[in-house]
Amino acid sequence: MEEVIFGSGIMQLLIALILVTTFMILGSTRLYSCVRAFGIQSFLLACVASVVGFSTGKYDLYIIAFLTLVLKAVVIPYIFIYIIREIKVKREIELYVGISPSLIIGGMLVVIAYYLIRSIDVITGLSSFALSASMSLVSIGLFIMISRKKAIMQMLGILIMENGLFLVAISLTNGMPLLVELGIFFDVLIGVLIMGILIFRINKTFETIDTDKLKTLIG
Amino acid sequence: MLSQIGISVIQVIVILALAPLLSGIINKIKAFFQIRKGPGIFQPYYDLAKLMRKDSVVSENVSWIFHAAPIISFAAMLTAGLIIPIFISGMPFGFAGDIIAVVYLLALARFFTALASLDAGSSFGGMGGSREMFVASMVEPALMLSIFAVALNVGSTNLGYISQTVSNAGLSAVSPYHLLAFVAMFIIAIAETGRIPVDNPSTHLELTMIHEAMILEYSGKQLAIVELGAMIKQLLIYALLANIFFPWGIAQSISAAGITVALIVFVIKIVVLGAMMAMVETQTAKWRLFRLPDLLSVSLMLSFLALVSFIIVKGG
Repeated sequence: MEEVIFGSGIMQLLIALILVTTFMILGSTRLYSCVRAFGIQSFLLACVASVVGFSTGKYDLYIIAFLTLVLKAVVIPYIFIYIIREIKVKREIELYVGISPSLIIGGMLVVIAYYLIRSIDVITGLSSFALSASMSLVSIGLFIMISRKKAIMQMLGILIMENGLFLVAISLTNGMPLLVELGIFFDVLIGVLIMGILIFRINKTFETIDTDKLKTLIG
Repeated sequence: MLSQIGISVIQVIVILALAPLLSGIINKIKAFFQIRKGPGIFQPYYDLAKLMRKDSVVSENVSWIFHAAPIISFAAMLTAGLIIPIFISGMPFGFAGDIIAVVYLLALARFFTALASLDAGSSFGGMGGSREMFVASMVEPALMLSIFAVALNVGSTNLGYISQTVSNAGLSAVSPYHLLAFVAMFIIAIAETGRIPVDNPSTHLELTMIHEAMILEYSGKQLAIVELGAMIKQLLIYALLANIFFPWGIAQSISAAGITVALIVFVIKIVVLGAMMAMVETQTAKWRLFRLPDLLSVSLMLSFLALVSFIIVKGG
């Protein structure tokens, strides 16, 4: 059953596109294009959810897809853009690791994710492509969190990780119970709001959201 | 045998005839996006005809390389044109080389243009040559990798065979690695044809120019040959994009009807690609030279991902 869904052409294309958007985030130096790429990624995730819903006949997946679309592809990017506008943050991303090295590390993470997934015997029935893509989303999200200086990018990194986990959940279980998913959505939304407020506070206290400068003591 | 020769001749004529038209169409579409009227689509023909009537002014200090380079690059481009499928998948010269030969023919042309740019000893020429090689060092591996991702799936590096197999597979050929390789190849096409994030084709005497800086010393007939060579290269890169990644409609056997349809489909495909390119060019600003590795490593990474996802999907 799962093999049919995740081995199908549309599914593989969607997952490949999700990987492409992840590399768009890794490869761009502008905050707005990162946020846009994240919006596209979430839209593609919503497509994945609805394709799974269509082929398994579980209709609550449509609700999940709709919520993903509204929350992650519209509301959260809007919150990002609001934060960027309000605190007039410089549009360029500052990085610890340059763009080209980050892309190479991203590619390596995909390969590592693939080998990790392959060594798990339990899931041989599933498409390893969906799982290794989601594993690499989680690890690339983590990498974005540690390699970017702006607090906004760390927020984006954790959301990419969340998207990866969503993909894991949907590709392992064909959709978790609606109640669990709703809980996760609520969690993510509140998380984003709290992180947004935190970024405002950081900006107010330090007059920058560059996490590199948080080491300076302020009395 | 005779029809085979005929096909080759038609292919060369089509390449020569369409190459300036493609440039004209792209310029027109670009003008449309920028709300200008823009020159007519036949303007490149007039320009070439005008240049052909003029004499060349050549520096006294140049060696034979300066005179040979335009002809060598032009010949290399046309030879590559015989190996790349344009309207028929079983090209008569398909046996003569595969994608590796095409990449090396493009490299040969580039090498001689860069040499010629150094030959006259002008500082602009040297700058252009070194930049061109800098870009090429990242474009070439990405170009090979992205086509290898498709070639691995088909099981051959022969371009005609690849396009025939993909064409026969129909929509089922569209797979993650196909898509990733296409995106990678599109970025390469921008770099190879000297379009805006990488190079600005519509500028002279700007410090950021790459291709224009290399050919600054040329004039008259030699310039016409160099320009036509660059246009042919652009057409060939588009033909690679069109006939490797979506070759549907390409003629598979020699028949007048099939070839006519294939030619029309080919023109539509390259015009669509040209419109995409014009859109990219209008929407982006020229990148700083030292940021180019970032763009090109995106392309390299995508073609690498294409290979990895091929292994995951097929071997997993």
